Amino acid sequence: MSVGQTISSSAMLRPSTAQKAGRVALILLALLLLAGFLVLPVIAVFTQALSQGWKMYRDSIHQEDVLSALRLTGLVACIAVPLNVAFGIAASWAITRFEFHGKNLLITLIDIPLAVSPVVAGLMYVEVFGLHGWLGPWLSEHNLHVIFAVPGIVLATVFVTFPFVARELIPFMQAQGSDEEVAAVVLGANGWSVFWRITLPNIKWALLYGTILAASRSIGEFGAVSVVSGHIRGQTTTLPLQVEMLYNEYNFTAAFAAASLLTLAAIVTLILKKIIEVTSGVHRHVDEEEVQS
Amino acid sequence: MSIQVEQISKTYGSFTALDDVSLTIDGGELVALLGPSGSGKTTLLRMIAGLEAPDSGSILLHGEEATEQSASKRGIGFVFQHYALFRHMTIWENIAFGLRVQARRLRPSRKEIRERVQELLHLVQLDSYAGMYPEQLSGGQRQRVALARALAVRPNVLLLDEPFSALDAKVRKDLRDWLRRIHDELHVTTVLVTHDQEEALEVADRVAILNQGKLEQIGTPQSIYDNPASPFVYNFLGNVNLFHGRLLADLSSQVHGGGTKESAQSAIGFVRPHELEVSRDLPPDNKAVVATVERIHAAGPQIRLELSIAGNGKPVTAELSRKQFEELALVTGDELFVWPQSMRLFDDPKAEALLLDQGAGI
Repeated sequence: MSVGQTISSSAMLRPSTAQKAGRVALILLALLLLAGFLVLPVIAVFTQALSQGWKMYRDSIHQEDVLSALRLTGLVACIAVPLNVAFGIAASWAITRFEFHGKNLLITLIDIPLAVSPVVAGLMYVEVFGLHGWLGPWLSEHNLHVIFAVPGIVLATVFVTFPFVARELIPFMQAQGSDEEVAAVVLGANGWSVFWRITLPNIKWALLYGTILAASRSIGEFGAVSVVSGHIRGQTTTLPLQVEMLYNEYNFTAAFAAASLLTLAAIVTLILKKIIEVTSGVHRHVDEEEVQS
Repeated sequence: MSIQVEQISKTYGSFTALDDVSLTIDGGELVALLGPSGSGKTTLLRMIAGLEAPDSGSILLHGEEATEQSASKRGIGFVFQHYALFRHMTIWENIAFGLRVQARRLRPSRKEIRERVQELLHLVQLDSYAGMYPEQLSGGQRQRVALARALAVRPNVLLLDEPFSALDAKVRKDLRDWLRRIHDELHVTTVLVTHDQEEALEVADRVAILNQGKLEQIGTPQSIYDNPASPFVYNFLGNVNLFHGRLLADLSSQVHGGGTKESAQSAIGFVRPHELEVSRDLPPDNKAVVATVERIHAAGPQIRLELSIAGNGKPVTAELSRKQFEELALVTGDELFVWPQSMRLFDDPKAEALLLDQGAGI
């Protein structure tokens, strides 16, 4: 028995030549796929954007429409992300620290935006807030514009990014448990003290992680926003919509120039994400979670 | 400060955590709540702390109704099984926390806080660890920090929830003695929850034994060890040999458990291992059974023998001194005469007529 174990463990340590070859082949295959489906397209975006030189690239971005789309995208993210942070913390706090009726329903509801196609999400808002929707007549009476206006875009973005912060925090807070918070309460701390001094410092990395994911998604969201935006140039066009419009007009250089901005945002997100993983150890918990599920 | 628990009950769904429990803990006393898991001991402790609310009954602190009072207002120090230290704070900040979160008008000055923390660091012998983080400390050190943190606010009551159960045996023993010394120094009313009978008997002034949500018995360690009120308590307080039997003589007056004479016809007899006598010769009154030595545990101050008695299902355990063991020169497989010096009889509700142990006269 012990002899067998020794043999098998040394076999694990020193693979045979055939095993080695197989391993190398698999790694090469993975790298090849990665290059073909990820790296090449990213390079293509930048080559296309810069195909007519730096000056053309700068001019494409400096168009009034593109700049306005950039501003709108920033504005939407600045509203949607803080809302999601507030909601995400509140929901995770409630779910991991209290027992109440409808808890499972709440957990399910948080996941709905991940399950529903973004287009459907957009259509839901049209149905509720659109001119012929349930609240449409009342809204137009009061001269409030939701659909085909900025509020609709914000709503759609909030909807699709709803789960990001909460889903990052819930497993993290569950794993941490509430002992520290209970200890703080027994020591005489009030609710605010517990939140600011104990809960927030403990969840800060997971929170930042979720926030970055939510921000990245709110910048890049296309489907839901497309339905409610109305594509009014310079007014209700976000950057992803602008890319599509330019592309449909065969203005490839400008389209790719705008797309390169989105790609840069994604690359920055990935770098930030990696930095957080390395400095905080959040990734360890994410890995474990993936293994478990 | 005294604690009075009056007729507390609590259920979680169909599970009864506590069933009409009443007990009084005097000021300055160290009481252990002892019981197996699921006995309700931790629930009771959390109720005293204000972390759980009873379904019925009340809790009085220092004679005043406190059932509805919030945990943060009770002036309680709580030590958790898994320390629950604030991981993002240094040891110094951990201990100072309770002082720093007090309302401004009650909060001690910075200087006072510094002195108090220093004093506590000294008390728990961790002076040089002030700037470290909890993860840099060993389990025993962390639990000492947790105790210092709980004591910093000068609590009226100190509650400890299985504080040593996550530590290894040697550290556990040291901390237990150390806790007793601290208690003797400070005289804070202390309630210790534990499932370890040795810990409870050794450290507490009085021990309350809980089983399935009910208080089985409360008393000084010696009184409950010498006079267990129920078979459960007898069983729980260490090794015991069990004999089922039928009463041959009318011994009902000696039977505990308040059974009628008729039901007392069958009984359970409890004999602790050190109360079993063994000898190679038949005792003068001829009341003994023959047993075979199955195993000998010779490591330790007492020699423990596992003996099988023909007809008795489970093997029984006997303890004898090293001197007696050497005199008997026992080896595995030897046959011996065995009889109990004393035996405590309880009414056997299941009335299983199993084995007659002649040696005990039943």
